[in-house]
Amino acid sequence: MFGFGKKKPNEPKKETTEEVLLTVERKEELLRTISFKKEEVNQAAGEKQAKIYEEIGLAFNELGEEDHAIDSLEKSIQAKKSLGNGYKTLLKLYNKKRAEAAKVNNEELLQIYLKKMDQMMQVSKEVTRGVR
Amino acid sequence: MSVVNFIIENILTQASVTIALIAMLGLILQKKSTGQVISGSLKTMLGFMVLSAGSSIIVGSLVYFGHIFTEGFHMQGIIPSIEAINGQAMNELGLGRDIALTFLAIFVFNIIIARFTKWKYIFLTGQAILWMATMTTVFGYFAGLRGVALILVGGFIGGVFAVAMPAIAQPFVRKITGMDDIALGHFCTVGYVFEAGVAKLVGGKGEKKKSVEDLKLPAQFEFLQDTYLSLMVVMTPLYIITAAFAGEKFASTLSGDTNYLMFAFLQSIQFVVGVYVLLAGVRLLLGEIVPAFRGIAMRLVPNAIPALDCPVLFPFSPNAVIVGFITTTIGSIIAMFVLPVFGLAMILPGMLTAFFAGGTAGIFGNLTGGIRGAIIGGVVHGFFITLLPALLVTTFNSMGFVNATATDVDTVTAALLYAWLIGPLLKAF
Repeated sequence: MFGFGKKKPNEPKKETTEEVLLTVERKEELLRTISFKKEEVNQAAGEKQAKIYEEIGLAFNELGEEDHAIDSLEKSIQAKKSLGNGYKTLLKLYNKKRAEAAKVNNEELLQIYLKKMDQMMQVSKEVTRGVR
Repeated sequence: MSVVNFIIENILTQASVTIALIAMLGLILQKKSTGQVISGSLKTMLGFMVLSAGSSIIVGSLVYFGHIFTEGFHMQGIIPSIEAINGQAMNELGLGRDIALTFLAIFVFNIIIARFTKWKYIFLTGQAILWMATMTTVFGYFAGLRGVALILVGGFIGGVFAVAMPAIAQPFVRKITGMDDIALGHFCTVGYVFEAGVAKLVGGKGEKKKSVEDLKLPAQFEFLQDTYLSLMVVMTPLYIITAAFAGEKFASTLSGDTNYLMFAFLQSIQFVVGVYVLLAGVRLLLGEIVPAFRGIAMRLVPNAIPALDCPVLFPFSPNAVIVGFITTTIGSIIAMFVLPVFGLAMILPGMLTAFFAGGTAGIFGNLTGGIRGAIIGGVVHGFFITLLPALLVTTFNSMGFVNATATDVDTVTAALLYAWLIGPLLKAF
């Protein structure tokens, strides 16, 4: 009855193609951005710092370095809560980590990521309601 | 034998004890340490007692409100509050144990359905499952079900809803978020899909369809920053205006030595206090059970799609949330005045439902019908989510509930399933 709840078979494939498409030039560009932004981030504060951390996190994510991406995106939200691309990517990464923890039966890690996803819901609520 | 009798008659009849024992069993099965088992069980019991205390405060305030409203407006004024319904069902109606067991049964059925069918949704919003368990238990009880049948039927229906609602929403959620690995787990989905349908019918089409997200809107509602403050913003004027309409002569008979308007003000705050205490109890009560369930569910269904609370969609369409909130509020205010004309009770508007359910519905409306769809769809949604709870009022009244009705429309739909289908079927056979 609810056949439309089914996963589209072509979607995971799309993700892999995106990863493959990362050219050497793009990789180098991303790495340069990261190292440049890392220097910049320490001098910034508040919203600006959050923005730079978000950019670093998104670059790491594009490179496929998920743990580094999570670390930077968490710092971004700590500096200033927002619901941009960084937020969406972080939620997606948490969910991926949650699924991996479930597959290897790691209860502790599973609980950590479920809790982090809960916190993301809280962030979304607070930002939408204008809590500063 | 006398020991067994004592246990059955004096201990197991106490809902708080039974619930603590269920939590204890769960913690033992998870091989937790003795310390964790004891603290977890006690916290669960404490949670239930705090919830009951909150319920008593709410009921006290609602009884007062019921009196002044009937005097002032010569009709029944109903406050939509799923918390008030849950508190009264668990406490005053003595269904606490059955609700707790149904709550667990919903979890179990959710896991079974997700494990063995292609719908891999695991509903992660524990509080919403408690509200669903409340409604299936209350209406199952009203339909004549008792004991194991009450719990199993409730668990099955709740479990089906826990999978079906995210499944129904998923085609929309996929378009909104651009991904398929997260779902929406919020028991207001019937309303969302309803708004999406209305917006599709009346909204902009083709090139004329413009998204709300292209507009510049003021992004924040300061008075909504805190759940309890936003409750107060609605309840305080509501109580004071109602007391004024009831008149000094009548209202003073209820307020003793205190000025009648001051008393109304204090009673409105008292309602908010009750919700505050009740939700603190719910958090304690669920704090031990829910994480354990999630862990088990995720391991038993390794390719599960987690169904998360409605704020999961807010970042994808923030303007639509604002439009949805405003239009749903307008729709529910229209319904408040229109429904009594048709002999239904007056359902007073609930700010929090309008925000969370309305905001999310706005995202659905904008998706299918653009700005026009979100606006018209939102108003119709507000009317719809006020109409459904109004249909339950007679049943709630006959069961002894005081001046309240449920909010989340999926739980209301489950209740109507009992009232219109299961109940009559049970009576027929």
